[in-house]
Amino acid sequence: MAEDRNREVYKVPPTRTPVSEGTSTLPNPIPFLHTAFSYIVDAPVTFVREWIERQQAKNKYYYYHQKFRRVPDLSECLEGDYLCFYEAEAQWRRDRMVDQEIVEIVRERLGACKQREGPNQFQNCAKEAELLAQVTKAYQDRYGDLGVTGNARTCLMKQKHRMIEERKAQASASE
Amino acid sequence: MAAMSLVLRAAAAWGARRAASGVAGGAHLPWLGEAARLPGTVAPVRHSSSHGKRMFIIKATRFYDTRFLNLLRFYVFLTGIPVAIFITYVNIFIGEAELAEIPEGYIPEHWEYYKHPISRWIARYLLDPPEKNYEKEMAVLDIEAKKTQLRLMELEARRLMRQRGDGPWYHYETPDKNLVDNSMKSTPDN
Repeated sequence: MAEDRNREVYKVPPTRTPVSEGTSTLPNPIPFLHTAFSYIVDAPVTFVREWIERQQAKNKYYYYHQKFRRVPDLSECLEGDYLCFYEAEAQWRRDRMVDQEIVEIVRERLGACKQREGPNQFQNCAKEAELLAQVTKAYQDRYGDLGVTGNARTCLMKQKHRMIEERKAQASASE
Repeated sequence: MAAMSLVLRAAAAWGARRAASGVAGGAHLPWLGEAARLPGTVAPVRHSSSHGKRMFIIKATRFYDTRFLNLLRFYVFLTGIPVAIFITYVNIFIGEAELAEIPEGYIPEHWEYYKHPISRWIARYLLDPPEKNYEKEMAVLDIEAKKTQLRLMELEARRLMRQRGDGPWYHYETPDKNLVDNSMKSTPDN
């Protein structure tokens, strides 16, 4: 389901347009349109919405984000301990979902920055772009190319290969 | 009653015969400007003043299509409208839950992790808690793991008992030694 639309983080700072001193004698249609909109559309909609919120405020209740305990990882499981495998697998899936959401959030931040800055985006959004590049590279290193059949075991094997490559690179660099 | 229906049937037959004779009479004079018509489509026309000649337009039947669409609409709305009203009522008067931090020392129930009231209701009364599901799956895994271990141990025991021959398995029935006829071997010079 779509996330809640409480995007307080992406609020654009208030515009600083100066007050215009127009010298035209014709009346400005903008205030007239604004009042028309607020009487015809805004006031009824706000009234209905506030009525609905008053009905809903009579019985408030809450929902929470579930916090899962950390269980031993797949690398700490003994061989043949299928229960440990199952719990480590479940934890790995949860962590992968969390990482996906992290990448998504960083991507949205970059998008919001571009939308905000407009023509200045290439200079002012450099930090967000750099962060996104690092995060996607990290995600690709850890979870990329595992495929649809990827599970905690294949991810652990991928990590093992990464560490072997790193060690080889270190050994060849120190020679 | 029966006489009435007989009279009506006779009247319908007389009318059909008159119409047929009208068709036949009209077919004798085709060069008098009558347009070529399909047999049986001759009908009296009346020129109305406002929109030209009234036409009896022959079209393929739309009876089955409209009947199907009417029935479809009826049966979809029969349960669709009550469900829509119910969901609207729930959304307006009960409303969704608000996100909050878990208070200190409080363990929320498994349905309190959902936002929409109908999802909460389903999770509370219809579905099993996810902890129970988890434990059930782990129990299945545990039983299967124990079964594989037992099977491997059985295979090992069979292998060793066959090899060493000192276990209760792999005993074969042999014939009684008193039945053996030793008369062939009893005399050395046979």
